[in-house]
Amino acid sequence: MKSVLLLLCVFIVCCLPADKKDKFTVVVFKHGKIAGDPEPFRKLLKKFEDENPGIVIRDEMLPASTDEQHQFYVINLEGKSSDFDVLSMDVIWVHEFARAGWLRDLTHMLSGEDRNDFFPGPMQAVTYNNRVYAIPWYIDAGLLYYRKDLLEKYGFSPPVTWEELIRIAQYIISREPGLYGFIWQGKQYEGLVCNVLEYLWGNGGDILRDGKVVIYSDENIHALRFIRDLIIKYKVTPPLVTTAIEESTRHIFGNGRALFMRNWPYAWNIFEKEGSPVKGMVGVTLLPSFSKGPSASTLGGWQLGVNKYSKHPEEAEKLVEFFALPESQKILAITLGYKPARRSLYSDKELIKEQPFIAGLYDVFMNARPRPLTPYYMMITQVTQPEFSAALSGIKTPEESLKAAQRQIDYILAAER
Amino acid sequence: MKKESGNRFIFPALLILFLVTVYPVFYVFYLSFHRRLLIFDISKFVGLDNYLFLLRDDRFWNALKNTVYFTSVSVSLELAIGLSIAVLLNRSFRFRGVTRAVVLIPWAVPTVVSARMWEWIYNTDFGILNYTLGAKINWLGSPFWAIHAAILMDVWKTTPFVAILLIAGLQVIPKELYMAAKVDGAGNWAIFRRITLPLLKPIILVVLLFRTLDAFRVFDAVYVLTGGGPANTTETLSIYAYKVLFQTLQFGYGSTLSVVVFLCIGSISVFYIKLLSKGIK
Amino acid sequence: MIKKTGFYLLVMLVLLYCSGPLLWQIATSLKPDYELTVIPPVITENPTTVHYISVFKERPFLRIILNSAVVASCTTVLSLIIGSLSAFALAKMRIRYKVFILGFVLSVSMFPPIATVSPLYIIIRELGLRDTWLALIITYTTFSLPLSIWILTNFFKEIPDEIYYAARIDGCSPFQIFYKIMLPLSIPGIFTTAILVFIFSWNEFLFALTFTSTTSSRTIPVAIALFPGVHEVPWGEIAAASVVVTIPLIVLVFAFQKRIVEGLTSGAVKG
Repeated sequence: MKSVLLLLCVFIVCCLPADKKDKFTVVVFKHGKIAGDPEPFRKLLKKFEDENPGIVIRDEMLPASTDEQHQFYVINLEGKSSDFDVLSMDVIWVHEFARAGWLRDLTHMLSGEDRNDFFPGPMQAVTYNNRVYAIPWYIDAGLLYYRKDLLEKYGFSPPVTWEELIRIAQYIISREPGLYGFIWQGKQYEGLVCNVLEYLWGNGGDILRDGKVVIYSDENIHALRFIRDLIIKYKVTPPLVTTAIEESTRHIFGNGRALFMRNWPYAWNIFEKEGSPVKGMVGVTLLPSFSKGPSASTLGGWQLGVNKYSKHPEEAEKLVEFFALPESQKILAITLGYKPARRSLYSDKELIKEQPFIAGLYDVFMNARPRPLTPYYMMITQVTQPEFSAALSGIKTPEESLKAAQRQIDYILAAER
Repeated sequence: MKKESGNRFIFPALLILFLVTVYPVFYVFYLSFHRRLLIFDISKFVGLDNYLFLLRDDRFWNALKNTVYFTSVSVSLELAIGLSIAVLLNRSFRFRGVTRAVVLIPWAVPTVVSARMWEWIYNTDFGILNYTLGAKINWLGSPFWAIHAAILMDVWKTTPFVAILLIAGLQVIPKELYMAAKVDGAGNWAIFRRITLPLLKPIILVVLLFRTLDAFRVFDAVYVLTGGGPANTTETLSIYAYKVLFQTLQFGYGSTLSVVVFLCIGSISVFYIKLLSKGIK
Repeated sequence: MIKKTGFYLLVMLVLLYCSGPLLWQIATSLKPDYELTVIPPVITENPTTVHYISVFKERPFLRIILNSAVVASCTTVLSLIIGSLSAFALAKMRIRYKVFILGFVLSVSMFPPIATVSPLYIIIRELGLRDTWLALIITYTTFSLPLSIWILTNFFKEIPDEIYYAARIDGCSPFQIFYKIMLPLSIPGIFTTAILVFIFSWNEFLFALTFTSTTSSRTIPVAIALFPGVHEVPWGEIAAASVVVTIPLIVLVFAFQKRIVEGLTSGAVKG
């Protein structure tokens, strides 16, 4: 028994990380898995360490899904954890974390000029009660991908309204066997809410307006029914979208099996890689609109903040500042395809030469809308995800699901009263 | 000779059981009458508000329906398959030990691992199940199939437990009874119905009790396999409660849901235990 | 003859049903990435260990296995100590309200974990035990106690009361009887209990998911459930990790099949 214990102790000691870094300040940086080759990202961190002797960065990966990442942060920060210093956050979390008092106030880090340089959407998302709690890192927004070659073959131009998209899709898929018309992300997860909001907004609806719950409205019912009709009435969308996430749709489109796809900008670089079956055949445009309304695109992207309980806040701020620099954002844009949150980079000659696609995204990002800006967003989305999913798969009518959502969200927001 | 009092031997167990299970149960009742948002430091007594909302909460009723469906279908299948395996293996043959060990594999595999295994088997495009069936069924994505996929996985995972218990039950039945019945010219089916089943009844009830309770509070298997989706068609009561509790730390309403699970489990146990004690008398 | 063949065919079917999914997971773990998405999904001709290597190289997997091992072993030891003491008292000594206590222990085993997880979380957080081994060890010990007490009580009851009386007359204190006589006599029972408790702690998910948050205490089931990836699921690595953590259990099952069956049934059949 004793020898077993001894062995165990030896094992434990061996497994503990040796603390050689006494003289350095270790800043722990939490972020999602890096898309693609992590080498350029490591290089960038190395560059920071070289410029800031005395600081060592340890980057740690978050779990796969954003829901799990959120839960990780909530549970740790609620427990006042100081295990990590810099945290990357989805746009929808900043208000919640700020309200909970978990983020260091970073207002002093941004000059007026900087504030103007970041896109307005992310700036709104990181500003809570007029204080800035995070710095935009990179930005995302919903786009319409289309097959240039097929539209040309049948003499169409890219659709501007949903009606056109349906007409074109119906025409072409009836002549191209095995081709899907229009695919998007319909699994029960946050991506579904991003997709659905684009239709709700396009039709003049919303979830919250001036702090009031307005999800149960005629505009929303109409829009939600329209999405369901894409599948069952117009038959341009295959039922498999109700389980699809970004990558599943990207695979289908990337193998040349779909005409239109709603997705984030990251897919473009993959389509244009050597060996991609659709290289040179893909076009990108704004999402279509309803005949009278505007085109609406959901804002995504990640922000960097500093843990309020961090033991090295100054060093952590330096790292955030470093990633906010135009040079750093440019390097990540060129190497990983992360879209810069700074507007000025979209006219940067070198960047446009490397990534010609980026210049065209400027208008999309300028108009991208953040999801409802409220500390209660995560509770609200736990309600909307299943309700939207139920409406899309036909388990509930759009009316029933929105009515149920309205009631549940009302109950959540009653906490404030 | 009179026995000594064993109170001090049993005291540590009772203390820890009290602190870690009984006290929290009282606490959860207490929380269920509050609106408690851990992250924003909101804590208000709201009386029966949470319970009143629960009565009108579609998502709760849906979760209850899913849980009852999951429990009844999976437990009956497990009993049927488990009984067949038990009858099959309840004799001596070569490799019997190895066979029993193999039968125990699903029981020993961690639930999370088995969920991940089945997730891959169910994969629409590359899964072996669709390939074997020559089908393109979206097992985990279609509202109809997902709950059945979860049931199938649970049946695979827990049938061994059922079979092992039933084999033990079969072995207590005296061999003479079978001999006598054979002498009287009874067929296999008649023997099974007239002798095996009635004598196996108490153990079947015990198995049903264990399995019903486990299935009713199912969490990890389904949580990892489907996360409750699609469209909440696989969201069980435990998953709903867990999501409210820990995705957004709404401890008030989440505790209300926990209380309901607790009360359901309590009623099921009382029901079975009554049935059992009747059987014994 | 035909009957016999039929019987063995059926047995083969049962074996395939029980082991198939695990065997398939092993086959998956050996496939190179590009073969994972190839139809038909046959067994690979180019087995590779890349997934195993990457599981251990890119992730703090060793530390996670250590967490699970420590938590499960400590739980087993604690649960056996506390459980055997009470089982001894329940089987051999005078206890008031014995039936009531046994009923209480049994009913605790029926408690749904979800009903206690929220208050326990608050308590553990207040005690500063969040994300530690201790939080899991305490919880697991408690939830495995009913099982330990139940199985061990049954074992102790089989030891004749006369031994107890004889030892008393020889001047042994009850505690001496417990560890000098009873424990050695019920080694098989203790062993059985230990295996079951260990497997329970090794596999538990709900509490582990809630009380742990970093690699310093995260256990295997949580790590496998929350495998990181961008948009895509790394099937090969998940399969490899699954196989690694399941193998010890399979070894246990094959080595101690009889004991496990005994443990599983002792509660049910006699009770």
